[in-house]
Amino acid sequence: MTETLLRLTDVVKTFPGVKALDGVHLEVAAGEVHCLLGQNGAGKSTLIKVLAGVHRPDGGEVLWGGEPVSFSDPQAAMKAGIATIYQELDLVDGLSVADNIFLGHEPRTVGFVRRGQVRRRASEILASLGHPEIPVRREVAKLPAAAKQVVSMGRALSREARMIVMDEPSAVLAHDEVENLFRVIRGLTARGIAVVYISHRLEEIREIGDRVTVLKDGRTTAANLDAKTTPTNELVARMTGRTIEYVFPPRPDAVPERKPLLEVRGLKRAGEFTDVDLTVHSGEIVGITGLVGSGRSEVLETIFGARRAHAGTVTIEGRKLRAGSVPSAVRAGLGMAPEERKSQALVLGEPVFRNMTLATFGRFAKAGFTDAAGERRAADEMAERLELRPRDTRRVVRTLSGGNQQKVVVGRWLLGGTRLLLLDEPTRGVDVGARAELYRVIRDLADSGVGVLMVSSEVPEVLGLADRVVVMREGRIVRQAAAHELDEHTVLDLVMAGSLLEGSPVA
Amino acid sequence: MSNLSRRGILFGGTAVGAGVLLSACTSNDTGEDDKQAESQTKVGGNNAEPGKKVTIGFSAPAADHGWIAAITNNAKAQAGKYTDVTFNAVAAGKDVPEQRAALETLIQQKPDVIVLLPHDGAQMTATGRKAMEAGIPVINLDREFSEPLAYRTLIKGDNYGMGVAAGTLIGQKLKGNPNAVIAEIAGIDELPLTQDRSKGFKDALATFGLKVSNRVAAKFTVQSGQEVTTNLLQAAPKIDALWNHDDDQGVGVLAAIKQANRSEFYMVGGAGSLDAMEIIKRDDSPLKATVTYSPTMASSAISLARLVAQGKGLEDLVELQVPKLVVLQSETITKENVDKYMPLGFRS
Amino acid sequence: MTDLAKPASEAPPEPHGTDAPRKGSFWTDDATEPVRRNLGLVGVLLAIWVVGAITVPRIFLSGEGLWNNELIVLQQSAAIGVIAVGMTFVIIGGGIDLSVGALVALTSVWCTTQATQAFGPAGMVFTAILVGAIAGLVNGFLIAYGRVVAFIATLAMLVAARGLAQLISGKRTQRVNIENVGITDIAENRILGIPILVWMLLVVAAVGWVLLNRTTFGRRTFAVGGNPEAARLAGINLRRHTVALYVLSGICCGIGAVMVVAQATAGAPDHGDLYELDAIAAAIIGGTALAGGRGSIVGAILGVLVFKGITNLFIVNNLEQEYQLIVKGAIIVGAVLLQQFRIGSLPQLRKSAT
Repeated sequence: MTETLLRLTDVVKTFPGVKALDGVHLEVAAGEVHCLLGQNGAGKSTLIKVLAGVHRPDGGEVLWGGEPVSFSDPQAAMKAGIATIYQELDLVDGLSVADNIFLGHEPRTVGFVRRGQVRRRASEILASLGHPEIPVRREVAKLPAAAKQVVSMGRALSREARMIVMDEPSAVLAHDEVENLFRVIRGLTARGIAVVYISHRLEEIREIGDRVTVLKDGRTTAANLDAKTTPTNELVARMTGRTIEYVFPPRPDAVPERKPLLEVRGLKRAGEFTDVDLTVHSGEIVGITGLVGSGRSEVLETIFGARRAHAGTVTIEGRKLRAGSVPSAVRAGLGMAPEERKSQALVLGEPVFRNMTLATFGRFAKAGFTDAAGERRAADEMAERLELRPRDTRRVVRTLSGGNQQKVVVGRWLLGGTRLLLLDEPTRGVDVGARAELYRVIRDLADSGVGVLMVSSEVPEVLGLADRVVVMREGRIVRQAAAHELDEHTVLDLVMAGSLLEGSPVA
Repeated sequence: MSNLSRRGILFGGTAVGAGVLLSACTSNDTGEDDKQAESQTKVGGNNAEPGKKVTIGFSAPAADHGWIAAITNNAKAQAGKYTDVTFNAVAAGKDVPEQRAALETLIQQKPDVIVLLPHDGAQMTATGRKAMEAGIPVINLDREFSEPLAYRTLIKGDNYGMGVAAGTLIGQKLKGNPNAVIAEIAGIDELPLTQDRSKGFKDALATFGLKVSNRVAAKFTVQSGQEVTTNLLQAAPKIDALWNHDDDQGVGVLAAIKQANRSEFYMVGGAGSLDAMEIIKRDDSPLKATVTYSPTMASSAISLARLVAQGKGLEDLVELQVPKLVVLQSETITKENVDKYMPLGFRS
Repeated sequence: MTDLAKPASEAPPEPHGTDAPRKGSFWTDDATEPVRRNLGLVGVLLAIWVVGAITVPRIFLSGEGLWNNELIVLQQSAAIGVIAVGMTFVIIGGGIDLSVGALVALTSVWCTTQATQAFGPAGMVFTAILVGAIAGLVNGFLIAYGRVVAFIATLAMLVAARGLAQLISGKRTQRVNIENVGITDIAENRILGIPILVWMLLVVAAVGWVLLNRTTFGRRTFAVGGNPEAARLAGINLRRHTVALYVLSGICCGIGAVMVVAQATAGAPDHGDLYELDAIAAAIIGGTALAGGRGSIVGAILGVLVFKGITNLFIVNNLEQEYQLIVKGAIIVGAVLLQQFRIGSLPQLRKSAT
């Protein structure tokens, strides 16, 4: 059972402005659990989409069962026997378990679905996964997350998949549910099915994985390491150390004693985060980092009032903010650039200048009448200051690239005289060249006295840009320190498991 | 704080005041008694003597305009005149399926007789037959079933005759003028009753060598009447005569005529609403006559239903039972005879 | 299993952070899109005139005849035009108001009861607007604070308001009393040779245009409809604005109802029949996106004029209405198809072609 099922050689995938994959090697054998490890932005998501047939590689070779292939669409990949289970499971909530399992390839007679057969075979599949208790007639929406995952795997089995790719399957599961997931995975590999397992949690990789491939900046930095014995040190080392050097603006030499701008005390939202204490001084950049689900973005949104805190206080220069009220936060001088720029920050069909003045058009207005010329002038100046390229502020925002769009959002708050800027993943979807510029803009802002609280899942970014770093894990702050006191290795370890602090690889 | 609460009080006060005004505004009480009876009923003769107690089931479409409202009101009022009648009306809702469901329920309750004005005669035929088979005689009101087995007695207005009456009236006015411009404002065009009326009108005009030059269709509503008439008047700069099928929509037709400042033609209405009769009597608009299609037929239907249930016939006829078919004459109301008809007019 | 088709090649990477400049042609630029669409509608109106000139030269080729005919089209467009203005605001703000027809019925009935008529014409107008505003307030609260989907909330209002109208009126037509001739005068009198109804439409449309395009209220409307989450995170009070939009639509229904009452010389529970569909159709063919965030008052008014112009054209030609309905349906579909081709869909088309 050690035949090589899948072999990727030197796979390249380029998007406009970004080389997402730049020489990926991967070798998966039948019946093994092959783990993919890498930081955010290392290219894991792109690699998964290449395997699933969503993207076609621009270069390199993909051998599936020894034959070179290039899947034209996800159906082709599925037909060939590759199933992908995304984090946001693509089940149809309104359909029954059985219908979901056979969605798109229902057993039928002249167009009529053979419902009895669908249910019977669905039960068989679930039983073979060790979960005969999941009722096949139940609506999927009513199942817990763990059961949904099993249904997704059932769907893969119904298609006779030979390889199943799982993208962070444990992220949505509780601890005992993870154990159960592992049992199911072991059942799959026993039948000769290969599993490509993506996770940030080292202890899981140790427990379920056979071999590990590490990605960094779109390249394979280590292939086929032994999942059980490779020291944590080595794994982390392979993931860190940038090959692309970002240019971070220098920090000001001497930081004068400044008064605190934002003070967060005992902030809590049940199920998301608890006991969060934070301080941001004016002119200071504070960076929060952590995994998805660590509560980092939720903290930011709660400070801004977009989520209502269950406990704790947020004060700006000693004045307490009303919980759960964005308008009061904005009035107090807060501004936020949310993570999902397109869906949360921009009115895509409107021109740049109207997006820039979205929070401030009321201030330009006289007696309720907007001042379009004044807004445009201010937006033009802001475009100049932020080096929007091209400067055209009448252009519809939809047509801009990620970096320019982010500048529009930042510009929006600068126009409003914002004193504390909250940035959630400020460089997500921004290409390499534009990043350095954004970093400079953020630093300039801080130098002008604005406080910045940013969230990033890219550790080097936080370390390079922020003055102080806050590490979060599972809804709590696990470390706060000046950026120069930390290094990438330490932070990454804190983020992932905290094992390195105890000083030994998990055997 | 005082600022806030003052605002609150102000707002509250305004809200309460507005509420009081609004609730006062829903009252339709004019403070004087209605000049006209709400409905038209008649009881008399030996047959009026109380007889066997009977239950009459009744179903008509939900009222959305004056004529249908008058039908229901008349039936109810007529039933109230008899001490031996229990009146059981079921809501017939807005379409055929709802009425069918209502009828099923009614049949279960086994009334002695059912009076039914169907949404659609053809589509309700099966239900009528079901009642008959269950031993409940059905008095089919106005809209005719497609087979006679489905009713005991049919009482209806004469749509074709209505068109003939209007056509005759206009024909007599304009005969000898073959180029006369005659306009017609029909009701909902899809309904067979509208088509019957138009055919009668056309046939009657033909006997005088005349024809309809402009025809538009409204929807039996005031607003649609106003709208199509405005356009019609625009299309025909000079009209000699105009027939409007329905006095309910006639309110809008007359409004449009007044707004266009036109008065050169002779106008005939249809159905016979109180409103139309009052205007004919005042004689200050082009509306000079109306041809009836009277909702009094509902009152008569209740009387017939009671007699059927009690096994009696019509007094002045020789037969011992109620006839199978009663068709009302469409009568012509003009200034000369309007006073006689006033008590029969219905409010639109 | 071997698919050796060449991978689709992506465009070469741009220099860092620079986006391709916008192509500034009048016919392709996003900024001029509303103008282009309105020109299209004006083209349809001209086409109606051309057909009219050929078929009914008596009206369309005489200066006076044409003037009078177009005034009639404008008068008939007046009430629905006012309602379409309110509808346009609601749709741009990301909502929908199905209750407008029923609100016209309700307010028309409420302002013509004997008790209201006792307050005179001013009282009737005030009542109509107040009732419309309150009904809109109920819609808005249900949607913004009760989190009922707009479609459902206003559908419920559609049903309930008609019922209430029937209840208040006793299902009867309520004539405007002779002493309140001030109301019916609205449909009969002219100022400077233009019917009052047309003036009302012009004023409402102008106020609506200014409100939408020149005030913070309008900016909030575009933002709330274009991306509610972005608007919220920019500090705009989403719920309050949503309520305001439905109140505005209700007020427009009240004004529209006064106009309908003036024309029909009566209030009735069957007034405003299917107005919701007419108003939505007018807004849509006028370039308002059902998804919200985009739209035009001028377009909506032109949309109403196109519909009423077609009705007029058919009637002055003495033609049956069935053809008219088919033509109107074709225009709605045509306008929406145009809208879909617009949204920068060229790359998509190219992609699906490979």
